[in-house]
Amino acid sequence: MVAAGRLMLRALNPLSKLLVCIVGLLASVLVFDARFQMALIVVTGFTLIALNRTSPLLLLVLMVPFCLFGFGFLTTSLLFRQDSDFATRMAGEAFLSSPAVSAGLTLFLRAVACGMISAFFALTTDPGSFVRALMVHARLPPRIGYSLFAAMLLVPDLASEAQQMRIARAMKTGRRIRRVPGPGEIIHLVIPMLAFAIRRAGRTAVALEARGLSPDGPRTVMSAPGFNRSDMIFIVVALGIVTLCGAAVVSDVGLR
Amino acid sequence: MSGSRGWTLRETLIVTVLGAVFAVLYLGWVQVWLIAQAVFGPVTMDVVMGFWFIASIVAAAIIRKPGVAFAAEVLTAAVQILLGSPAGLLLLVTGAVQGSGAEAVFAATRWRNYSLPVLMAAGVGAAILSFIYTWIRFDYGALQLGILIAMFVLRCLSGALLGGWLGHVIVEALYRTGALAGLAIDHAKRSVIA
Amino acid sequence: MRSDPSSPKAGFAAEWHEVTVQYPFAKGQAVGPVSLTVQPGERVLLLGPSGSGKSTLLLTLTGLVPNSIPATVSGDIRLFGADVGMRQPWAWAAQVAQYFQDADQTLCGMRVEDEIAFALENRALPPKHIADRVTAAMRRVGVPESWRSCPTSTLSGGERQFVALAATLVQNAPLFVADEPTAHLAPQAADRLHALLTEHDPHRSVLIVDHRLDGLIQHIDRMVVLGRDGSILAEGRPRTVFRAKRDLLASQGVWCPVASALDARLEQAGIAPPVAPLSVDEALAHVDPGTTSGEDVDRAIPAVEAFVAEYTVRSPHTAPDTPILARLVTAECAPFLGPTVLRNIDLAIHQGETLGILGANGAGKSTLGLCLSGLLPLKAGKRIGAPGGCAFQRPENQFTAGTVRDEILDALPKQISTKDKAEHVAGTLAVWGLSGFETRHPFELSQGQKRRLALATLTVSDRWPLLVLDEPMAGLDAHGVSTLMREIQALQGSGHAIAVITHDMDLALRLCPRSIVVGEGGILADGPTEELMRDLALLQRAGLAEPSCARALQWLQRVASC
Ligand SMILES: Nc1ncnc2c1ncn2[C@@H]1O[C@H](COP(=O)(O)OP(=O)(O)OP(=O)(O)O)[C@@H](O)[C@H]1O
Ligand SMILES: Nc1ncnc2c1ncn2[C@@H]1O[C@H](COP(=O)(O)OP(=O)(O)OP(=O)(O)O)[C@@H](O)[C@H]1O
Ligand SMILES: [Mg+2]
Ligand SMILES: [Mg+2]
Repeated sequence: MVAAGRLMLRALNPLSKLLVCIVGLLASVLVFDARFQMALIVVTGFTLIALNRTSPLLLLVLMVPFCLFGFGFLTTSLLFRQDSDFATRMAGEAFLSSPAVSAGLTLFLRAVACGMISAFFALTTDPGSFVRALMVHARLPPRIGYSLFAAMLLVPDLASEAQQMRIARAMKTGRRIRRVPGPGEIIHLVIPMLAFAIRRAGRTAVALEARGLSPDGPRTVMSAPGFNRSDMIFIVVALGIVTLCGAAVVSDVGLR
Repeated sequence: MSGSRGWTLRETLIVTVLGAVFAVLYLGWVQVWLIAQAVFGPVTMDVVMGFWFIASIVAAAIIRKPGVAFAAEVLTAAVQILLGSPAGLLLLVTGAVQGSGAEAVFAATRWRNYSLPVLMAAGVGAAILSFIYTWIRFDYGALQLGILIAMFVLRCLSGALLGGWLGHVIVEALYRTGALAGLAIDHAKRSVIA
Repeated sequence: MRSDPSSPKAGFAAEWHEVTVQYPFAKGQAVGPVSLTVQPGERVLLLGPSGSGKSTLLLTLTGLVPNSIPATVSGDIRLFGADVGMRQPWAWAAQVAQYFQDADQTLCGMRVEDEIAFALENRALPPKHIADRVTAAMRRVGVPESWRSCPTSTLSGGERQFVALAATLVQNAPLFVADEPTAHLAPQAADRLHALLTEHDPHRSVLIVDHRLDGLIQHIDRMVVLGRDGSILAEGRPRTVFRAKRDLLASQGVWCPVASALDARLEQAGIAPPVAPLSVDEALAHVDPGTTSGEDVDRAIPAVEAFVAEYTVRSPHTAPDTPILARLVTAECAPFLGPTVLRNIDLAIHQGETLGILGANGAGKSTLGLCLSGLLPLKAGKRIGAPGGCAFQRPENQFTAGTVRDEILDALPKQISTKDKAEHVAGTLAVWGLSGFETRHPFELSQGQKRRLALATLTVSDRWPLLVLDEPMAGLDAHGVSTLMREIQALQGSGHAIAVITHDMDLALRLCPRSIVVGEGGILADGPTEELMRDLALLQRAGLAEPSCARALQWLQRVASC
């Protein structure tokens, strides 16, 4: 069952996941309410843990940057909001219900919710099939698609290229290379790495053109993901959940 | 070819590939920033923000065609999504906003001038638009006026220095490596000498 | 002459008419003026010294020069009767399959499977059809199924070359163009690929540039030789050209097949075969002791002996008591960020020794070389001894400076005064045939020039008592290799130890008294090169082949026993 769920999430068309995630992000930005953000975080996180078998620990680690990011908003809201009466409220028991705190809290939760949704997309999607899906279903021009491919594939090579450069330098200077480069060494590597990337771009351009990549015109895309029923179900269910949460919060606010 | 306004495949690839390298650098930069951010609040964001504009400024200064600055930011964001950055999808919007800021400045020179002052102005342009965007997204209207002005000034300075000036330095250093042979910047420089 | 048609007419697969190419801001022309044709179904070999413009000429064929690589091109270039400029380079892909000199330039960095399918995808063929052809091409070239989802960047140099060849062969285009397609392949693989590339097919023309002729030249219909100044020196059937123009080719630094050296000796002895031989076997068949008169055989013996002497170990064996310079003790070696490929390595290299490192593609030779030089940390075990320098398999990886001059300057010993340095640089460049390129960027050189520059920076410096040269012969012309051999012998004389990784058995035999064979996750054999070369089972197991002189030796034995 879990394995099936994991397969299902991965086998979904990346574009349907993209659609759902974008709607989720929009909702998170538009509905300025702490409980709604909470709901988004819980639902997305739970889906990832239950269906994709993402380890909760990994999820927590991934959320650390977003928490730090959100925490910054919390402190700013407390200190710099026009209606912030931080000092006086600090003493009072109504601290938690102050508008500054609740606005800051919402901003904080929103940062985490956006992070969670993005992580959902990143963790369940294979970048290669995402680009393929874009080329097939969203008419992404093949040149841009393959440029994205090339850039994506470049990143793992940067490490080994940097290592080659370090070896070459070590040979020139006669010093032994350290296992881990220091910050100074890294800064010295930035320009050569950029130069390497640009050269490689030129070479790849020749390679792609020589084998017939044209700017337009029909081309087959091997192993491109298709749309099927599970995509429909996923979209309907996910959007349903987002709408439900939104509606609950809005009607609740209205009642009050 | 390089004279025309359309992009060649090589140029498209250069933009995305620059995006990939900068995506890796940004990743390191984000760690620095986030820790500071948690302590000092969003003001830190304004101080470090300029570095995020650098991809578009470097790409524009190298390729010198309409749309490069804008596309570079968007493609950089797209590469970050593909690399599995958890901040990915949001970056697309941020990228588009910052890219249009820089692009507007280059458009004002009719894509002819890529000197240091123009690059710095492009950094400021990106800073202004991105400030408007953060204003809307993070409810800045509710903040005190003093802090808002401070944030704005800091961000523009950061755009000019970390974006424009640093971008210029990087482009010059890159030019010396010979990797830019045959690109617009090469033609411009050689025709000045000749 | 066939390659100088007065009027361009349809019917040629490819045709260059008075073509010149000049790179931007270069002083002279890189090519030309050259006129050259390829007929349908013809297999043409293009030869020429390094830097004579072969690669550039091939790049003009579909307009990649000047469309993607800026340059000024003049003259007429036609493909199947149509002007090349009429279409963009990509529009020619269905007619022309191109393998570039550098496998990395042919590949785009994708997974192996995607890489091979790419050209067919661009032609919008049905997916099922593509899948079948990809599988077939992988099988033909010998790309194992297990590589399908490997990114090409995690393969060794030769393995990458396999994939790149599969990716071009799968196109099944009427014109196949390849620039040094087997430079990094182990002997058995190279033979197989040579046969595959030049398979006779009346509907397919082949144009190959190569320095490595043995195993290839038999399949060639016509050859064309470019001179140093970029014009055509000689042209015709290989048998005629190699005999008639032997001295001219040698003076230009163009490789000749090994058989040509034997042919020369037989000619001197006055018993030259009526048709010039293309392989050692052919030459010896002419003086076969079973069928030839005893008198002729007697005259042939000194000639064959001289030939064998030229192709066997020249340098003396190192005495067993010379001090050890560096050694690996129960080492485990792994490429950077890769899995462990070699285990339990015990290897010592002595002062003044030249050690050959042989083995199939992907056996782990480059990894071993880096570990031996101490530049790549070991996974386990330890390395003791002097620091080593390494000439990488890809010369580009070695360049850190902006000009050829700076590259050499950086490598010169520190204690030389500034004034002497200029002289040293000029001298080194002259030795390696790079004079005039001082201000060039190292990346703007031809492949052979890059290799020479990389080797020059290593040999000019006295920083390392131990040097590891990773496939130094790949892409070098005959001049380059003789310079290299001289430099190696000089270094050896001054007490350096040198390890040479190579796929060229003849060279290993001439240069290295001792060799090791790498394979199956370890060192398969370690001993005198002559003995290793006689062990046919070992050669077979490690993907190697006998050196060219082996047949001559066998002939001598047969004659002696008669
Ligand atoms: N991108 C470039 N920019 C400027 N000059 C170049 C460039 N590429 C090659 N050249 C020069 O053009 C000449 C011909 O180079 P080319 O690569 O065609 O030689 P080649 O015959 O293929 O040599 P090799 O056998 O070494 O590969 C060389 O002198 C080289 O230095
Ligand atoms: N970065 C990497 N990641 C994973 N595997 C790697 C990596 N680099 C090399 N390998 C593998 O390690 C093995 C040894 O590679 P190495 O480059 O040492 O081979 P080699 O003997 O030099 O081959 P060649 O003759 O083709 O140059 C190969 O099977 C290769 O696929
Ligand atoms: Mg060449
Ligand atoms: Mg190797």
